[in-house]
Amino acid sequence: MSRIKDSPEFQRGAPVTIIVDGAPLPAFVGETIAGALLASGRRAWQHTRHGQPRGMFCGIGVCFDCLVTVNGASKVRACLTPVAEGMIVQTQETTP
Amino acid sequence: MTEQVEIAVVGAGPGGLCAALAAAQAGAQVALIDNNRHPGGQYYRQTAREFRGAPSSHQREGAALLQQAIAAGVRIIAETNVWGAFDDKVLALNDGAATTYLQARAIILATGAYDRPVAFPGWTLPGVMTAGAVQTLIKEQRILAGKRFLLAGTGPLQLVLAAELARAGAQVVAVLEGSRVFPRVLQHAGALWNQWERLSEGLSSWLTLARHRIPYRVGWGIVAAEGAAQVEQATIARLDGNWRPIRGSEEKIACDTIALGYGFVPFNTLSRLLGARQEWRPELGGEVPARDAQMQTSAPGVYAVGDCAGIGGAALARVEGQIAGSAAAAQVGHGTADAIPARASALARERRFQRMYAALFTPGVGLYELSQDDTILCRCEEITQAEVRHALALGADTTNEVKLITRGGMGDCQGRMCAHLIAHFIARETGRSVAQVGMLPPRPPIFPIPITALGVTR
Ligand SMILES: Cc1cc2nc3c(=O)[nH]c(=O)nc-3n(C[C@H](O)[C@H](O)[C@H](O)COP(=O)(O)OP(=O)(O)OC[C@H]3O[C@@H](n4cnc5c(N)ncnc54)[C@H](O)[C@@H]3O)c2cc1C
Ligand code: FES
Repeated sequence: MSRIKDSPEFQRGAPVTIIVDGAPLPAFVGETIAGALLASGRRAWQHTRHGQPRGMFCGIGVCFDCLVTVNGASKVRACLTPVAEGMIVQTQETTP
Repeated sequence: MTEQVEIAVVGAGPGGLCAALAAAQAGAQVALIDNNRHPGGQYYRQTAREFRGAPSSHQREGAALLQQAIAAGVRIIAETNVWGAFDDKVLALNDGAATTYLQARAIILATGAYDRPVAFPGWTLPGVMTAGAVQTLIKEQRILAGKRFLLAGTGPLQLVLAAELARAGAQVVAVLEGSRVFPRVLQHAGALWNQWERLSEGLSSWLTLARHRIPYRVGWGIVAAEGAAQVEQATIARLDGNWRPIRGSEEKIACDTIALGYGFVPFNTLSRLLGARQEWRPELGGEVPARDAQMQTSAPGVYAVGDCAGIGGAALARVEGQIAGSAAAAQVGHGTADAIPARASALARERRFQRMYAALFTPGVGLYELSQDDTILCRCEEITQAEVRHALALGADTTNEVKLITRGGMGDCQGRMCAHLIAHFIARETGRSVAQVGMLPPRPPIFPIPITALGVTR
């Protein structure tokens, strides 16, 4: 639950801010939504119908555990979707 | 709108890149479709393009292959899902906004695999994830998914991941290897001949583990994950030869992340949709399309290469891709399929390695017996083992019938997570084979796509 530090051999993309459930979350261009959430220490951002918390499981778009709503579009896989400045992410949604 | 192309290749990992390149070099017109931000698939997984840094040798190799393919005239269609495949070799593509259709004269499927899901008490807790997820985050984004990692699974990729984690400063509390690899590996020593790159990667990972004093526990496995809101500890146990936990050997081990690396399941959805006859081959990861020597499936003009046709690793995927690319090009009128004799010895070498890998690292049945009645088998619809048991009592005896009764497998993942788990459970309870119990038939869209995208007419 952290970013591996930048080094002379390696630097992240430009810093951006995404809005997660109304609060700003710092991220870096090139990260996915799931990456930014995990790096901030958040392990779960979805609740199932039965109220169970879920976050990232497969990491490659297969399991659909990591779904979020992005700029109003629901059922977006956080593990595949790159962050962008000002992106509005809503979590906690249960799929109807 | 339906576009025409001579050869469509789905998946830009080692298999798809080599297939596209070989077909284009033979003179065919080729489109290569991949749903990732960066072509390369799993093995060549590229670092996010906005990051600056020194690429690994794998990443350089993948980037070079991509450049070669582009130079040979391959049209790369990135960040695009193939969500359906229909008769007459029509593929449905969606790039997040619009759907387009591509009609090909030959299709080469190179869609890879995904980490094998394993159900045990607590496996849905946040902090339990696949080894591939942990690794992808490191390679692509330089992010650590946790602080204290337990790696549970089988095979040499676990060592590679543990070493990567250690080098990145994470704590690895243990690596559990389910298979009793020693001394059985000695019987297969011949298959390691000419695999110097793999051996050196394995050795360097091993040395990193030793330097960081990471325990490598052979014949051990995960039994349960525990924690309130997320993983706090794991129960692990010594396993018998069938991978069943040995009672009394359990230990608790504190960790915040459990990375499951129990091998891979072939992503065969598209070959099924295209009507290719499938076989149940546990040693190849599960259900795979039957193929001839040219990598053609039983559906004429539909080829399958790499992990989506049987787990075999990147080197085998490359060779199979070259063979299929050249064969498909010949089929549509370019060249003479000369890659088949030319690649025969490389193919034989990689098949030997594949057999060794399967003999050493195919999980035993005990792996499918860890779930309890209150364990969830279908993550999407939250269907427990008890509910599946109830469906069996009602007379269901195939995975598909269980789905109709319980909704297990009806969720967004279309059963890619749960079908194996449910099938093994039914097989165990009914005394039938997994092949008889069957997997779930796929239906398009195989990935949920925006509703607006469905409206586009062909
Ligand atoms: C998460 C993960 C990590 C792995 N890491 C390693 C590793 O570090 N080292 C190693 O030796 N092996 C690794 N493997 C094993 C790996 O599968 C093989 O080594 C190798 O990558 C197989 O090559 P391939 O060409 O068959 O498929 P892949 O490399 O898996 O490529 C398949 C590609 O097809 C794309 N795709 C699939 N379906 C569709 C679709 N419907 N529409 C569009 N695109 C699609 C996928 O997103 C992917 O890019 C990993 C596997 C997984 C699942
Ligand atoms: S973590 Fe599995 S789909 Fe995103």
